[in-house]
Amino acid sequence: MADKRKYVIPGDVITTGPFRPEQNVILDGDKIISTTIGISEIYDDSVKVIPLTGMYIPKIDDLVIAKVNSHTSLSWELDINSCYVGFLPAQDVFGRDFSAHADELSSKLKTGDLVAARIANFDRTRDPLVTISDRDLGQIDSGELVEISPSKVPRLIGKRGTMIQMIEMATDAAITIGQNGWVVVSCESPEGLLKAKKAIKMVNEQAHIVNLTDQVKEMLELKGES
Amino acid sequence: MASVSVLNELRKTQILELLEQGKRVDGRALDEVRELSIEVNAIPKANGSARIRLGDTEVICGVKIQPDRPFPDTGDKGLFICTAELLPLSHPTVETGPPQPPVIELARVTDRGIRESHMIDVSQLVIEKDKSVIGVFADNVVVDYDGNLFDACSYAATMALLTSKTPKWNWTDEKPVIAEGEDTQLPIMTIPVSVTMAKIGSHIVVDPNGDEWACMDARVTITSDSDGNICALQKGGSDGFTLDEIVKCGETSVKIGAQIREKLKAAQQGGQ
Amino acid sequence: MGGRDATMVLLDENGIRCDGRKIDEPRRIMIRAGGLKNADGSAYIEFGDNKILVGVFGPRDVHPKHMSNTDTGILRVRYHMEPFSVGERKNPAPSRREIEISKVIKEALEPAVMLEKFPRTAVDVFIEILQADGGTRCAALTAASVALADAGIPMRDMVAAIASGKVADTIILDVNNEEDQAGQADMPIGYMPSAEKITLLQLDGVLTPEEYKKCVQVGVDGCKLVYELQKKALNDKYFGKKGD
Repeated sequence: MADKRKYVIPGDVITTGPFRPEQNVILDGDKIISTTIGISEIYDDSVKVIPLTGMYIPKIDDLVIAKVNSHTSLSWELDINSCYVGFLPAQDVFGRDFSAHADELSSKLKTGDLVAARIANFDRTRDPLVTISDRDLGQIDSGELVEISPSKVPRLIGKRGTMIQMIEMATDAAITIGQNGWVVVSCESPEGLLKAKKAIKMVNEQAHIVNLTDQVKEMLELKGES
Repeated sequence: MASVSVLNELRKTQILELLEQGKRVDGRALDEVRELSIEVNAIPKANGSARIRLGDTEVICGVKIQPDRPFPDTGDKGLFICTAELLPLSHPTVETGPPQPPVIELARVTDRGIRESHMIDVSQLVIEKDKSVIGVFADNVVVDYDGNLFDACSYAATMALLTSKTPKWNWTDEKPVIAEGEDTQLPIMTIPVSVTMAKIGSHIVVDPNGDEWACMDARVTITSDSDGNICALQKGGSDGFTLDEIVKCGETSVKIGAQIREKLKAAQQGGQ
Repeated sequence: MGGRDATMVLLDENGIRCDGRKIDEPRRIMIRAGGLKNADGSAYIEFGDNKILVGVFGPRDVHPKHMSNTDTGILRVRYHMEPFSVGERKNPAPSRREIEISKVIKEALEPAVMLEKFPRTAVDVFIEILQADGGTRCAALTAASVALADAGIPMRDMVAAIASGKVADTIILDVNNEEDQAGQADMPIGYMPSAEKITLLQLDGVLTPEEYKKCVQVGVDGCKLVYELQKKALNDKYFGKKGD
């Protein structure tokens, strides 16, 4: 259970003592110091900071929305909204019998296409390996791409999914959230689409306010507004 | 402008589909300009300045007025020089270094729009014929990019020049010396306003935003003056316009230009 | 009473400076975090009549590739003045002064930014001086630190900066343009408040050893004041009204 949450900025001393430094925290002598803007959490034997800003750093198993940048005859290069570029090998899409001579990559995915993908493997010495071979993954052919700050994704999902479910039910939209801050929104009605986009934008811009869920709920319930 | 990042195919398809229905991705009408916000005197130490936000595109123009030597063949005219620079903080794809052709085009088109309209009567900017004249420098810097830098720079420069204040200089002992007295407005003859239209497929949209700019096939920027006359024009992009389209664009630019001109005049009153 | 320019009164008999300030009083400072749509992080600062905008991108790919470092990310800083930012219009091309200041600011930020976490990438800091009035490099460094934090770039500490100096044989805090031109010494200082390290330090002018010690101390104390405003700027944007 986390203790005493505190707002911190880089350089702030969170606490002193024999704690293990976890995410976004460093140990200097016996001082535990934050390296980012966020909320610090002190556990029994460790300290971490939940960041409120910053670019997406891939984690294994993350679901991401990606954009095809280019391809060679053996793989695609995907923009995953990070300084690291996603690497999608041809076998992932064509299967084991892939042949560079026979199979043309652009027949399946071409530059500019959007996909829902998963980070299969990643360490910082090389670019992340990406896969789209599960049932819920693959090319996205409808819906609009909305960009939010990756650090706001947990807020958009909400505790046990409450925020995103509220938005989906109020607007009849289907929303796919990438951990990398890219979100795809599809909706039959243009009004529902605009409202869903507005709700997502609200969470992105006002993640720090206390009663955000109520505010978003109120906005969604307004009739005829867009 | 800058080599724009890969616009996702989905977005491009959406833009075209909506246009088929007479709509745009941000809900605007085809001939509707984005929200225009004008801040006068943004840089108080400059002789004149304006900060313009056109949607999410933001441009600051600062005007410096100082004595200078005239050009050899026009000793009876002051100098007017207008530049534009795309700052690297305006978009991740902008590189530092000497300006690329699109930015040079932006600077020259903005300059011509104002120069050809004769907005400033440079014959009134002479301190001593053939020896010393007043130089008016309008420098635009783009601070945030979301399409249509041509119009944003045009409005920023026009606004900055409209609200500029200049001292008077006298020729004394073979050099220009600042004279006593209040600063005055520049000799303004007209208010030029540019309107840029993009052709996407067979549709023409006014004031393209960043996404529309990335997928347009051609564009045209048309500048008109306070009398409703067209004084400068630049076509760009790899496709072409039909004669009818270009004529219609001319009419649209004068009509919308008049609306923008009222906004600029209102901001001028507010700032003074 | 003055320095190089005998006609300007830089400190009167009541200890008041040419712009009405007391000797340890900084100019009005306002810092705002964020504001640019496309930059990964940004900040805007008004320091007296200085108006400075900073945009940050990164960590991002380095081009050309040979400039990247396999062990650590690199920091690139560009300090640039707009043509309309100074008294006489400045040519847009980078001057030697701008290039030197870019380097000095880069070296003031490097101890704070955790570049080793992002090998083969670059963090770009773009500083644009919209209006200049003495002490631009300190104001720029202060804003750059806020913009880096706004971008979420991991940092060991913030870096705050201000210039101390000497006019009329008196050590002062926050040297303005007139004092820089006509005074006896100008010492810009950049300081990491948590780590207690000075990361930017320059001096123009002549100081006795005692004056030197006092000048540095006054400058460091001034940096601590500036740091409080950096905190406020980040609090206002990220923590709403509830910040510490």
